[in-house]
Amino acid sequence: MTHVAPAERSTRSPAQVETITVSRYASLKGVAVTIVNLAVFFLLWELIARAGLINELFFPRASEMFAAMYNGFADGTILPEIWHSLSNFLIGLAISIVIGIPVGLLMGASRVADLILSPYVWAMASLPRVALIPLLILIMGFDNSMQLTIIVLSAVFPIMVNCMAGVKTVDPSLLRAGRVFGTSRVQTYSKIIFPFTLPFVISGVNQGIARGLVGMLIGELLGGGGSGLGFLLDRAGDQFDAPMLYAVLILLAVMSVGLIQSMRWLEQRAAPWRDTLRT
Amino acid sequence: MVHVGSHETDRPAKEHANTAGSTLIEVAEVNAGYDNQRERTRLIALRDISLKVTQGEFLAIVGPSGCGKTTLINMIAGFVKPLSGVVKVRGVPVDGPGADRAMVFQDYALLPWRTVERNVEFAIENRRGHVPKPERRARIANALQLVGLAGFEKSYPHELSGGMRQRVGIARALVGEPEILLMDEPFGAVDAMTREAMQAELEKIIAETRQTVVFITHSIDEAITLGDRIVVVSSRPGTIREIIDIDLPRPRFDERNDIKRSARFGEIRSHLWKLLSDEALGAKWGSVARQEGETA
Repeated sequence: MTHVAPAERSTRSPAQVETITVSRYASLKGVAVTIVNLAVFFLLWELIARAGLINELFFPRASEMFAAMYNGFADGTILPEIWHSLSNFLIGLAISIVIGIPVGLLMGASRVADLILSPYVWAMASLPRVALIPLLILIMGFDNSMQLTIIVLSAVFPIMVNCMAGVKTVDPSLLRAGRVFGTSRVQTYSKIIFPFTLPFVISGVNQGIARGLVGMLIGELLGGGGSGLGFLLDRAGDQFDAPMLYAVLILLAVMSVGLIQSMRWLEQRAAPWRDTLRT
Repeated sequence: MVHVGSHETDRPAKEHANTAGSTLIEVAEVNAGYDNQRERTRLIALRDISLKVTQGEFLAIVGPSGCGKTTLINMIAGFVKPLSGVVKVRGVPVDGPGADRAMVFQDYALLPWRTVERNVEFAIENRRGHVPKPERRARIANALQLVGLAGFEKSYPHELSGGMRQRVGIARALVGEPEILLMDEPFGAVDAMTREAMQAELEKIIAETRQTVVFITHSIDEAITLGDRIVVVSSRPGTIREIIDIDLPRPRFDERNDIKRSARFGEIRSHLWKLLSDEALGAKWGSVARQEGETA
């Protein structure tokens, strides 16, 4: 294997490290495996559907699904809805981050803020979001603001709770080191507590993304706004358009995986030390 | 009974050249403890501790775990206040941490997101006017050189072994040139081989920098090989059982002359062993009764 554990890399002398030859295509191996894997999956899907074992009404062929997806993009029914969902989602996420991080940090840092806010935060963090839909419709109608609100309400609490947990779990011996080496109150926050909390913030945002996507969908499915991927899903279901239904589901999966994976990537970049800290 | 010089009774006035200085740290009739608000009790960690550390001395503190050694060092560092009594450094009562005292932690306490050199810099960048900026680079390079970490400036702590991390911890403690080096079981988390090598190096470093050291350990051998004096602390609540002078010549880590094989080392060792094993057994038998007595 070409990978050298980082824990060992720098403690080894140059005399210990030898160059080895690795195939030029080694890095493409993972991609190739994924492509083959997916190809086999869709092929199996196609074959099972063609065998007619399951009613085609709710299990269409993979080829029909791809055709529906292609047509949807070609005639412009899908793209505007993706754009609507994605922009709604990103705006909602941005609002959640702007509210969630400072409030979470405040709750972690101040006992008073924690005591006052935590009953509400925990109640809202645990309450299934769907329960809020009737009230939100009552207040905001079938407007887009209602869809945005449900995204924010879904995403903001995981972010808040994680930030709070980050501040509260700061390694006490780092705080002791801070005191020994003369950090002021401000320095304690800027040099110890915030950097320590950063990976928690990122995993909070990660959870916020997952929850926010659920919020986005229930808003579009139940909010009756008439736009977004959730709306497409709803309509395809009503029209017994199984290929379209599956096509939208696959697009949603791709979108979610893309968002969450890019956060994972960011998480590793922002805090490469985190894995070793936990062991 | 082997004769082991006891501090209270027959400590020679000027045994070693480097204990001949003036009193630097004075702990006078200190009691310390922690309040438990919920149970409305107070755990007494230390009782009636009086102690003087002279300038340039290497004081080792041994005792069973939970005997309040760490509380004692924390009071000298300035982040635990005694319930009664006073801790003075250079005759001034300790009121919080200061640049004249630095600490090496058992769990290293390095900032994992900072490189080695930035971790060392942490010790001299916080206090205003402590070390002027242009001087810092040279000071850091010096400290890293001293602990044998030159060339690892850009490494992150998680890339280093335990022993190397603690070298960073020592460099960080030394870079501000404190008068007093407080070490809280610094080698407790490294393996036995590394531990011995680190002890040898610490002796060499201290011979060069001439710090006054207060060193906590629960290894008897470590205390004898490093210390000028050993304070034996009994447990629950911690009281000073005995203070022992270590009259072994320095340097103690000498390849030609293994100090651990000398008769004197054996004498001191068995004396300490007896004291501490009494203590360990006593703690076991007595702990229930004592705890009951304390909360009542």
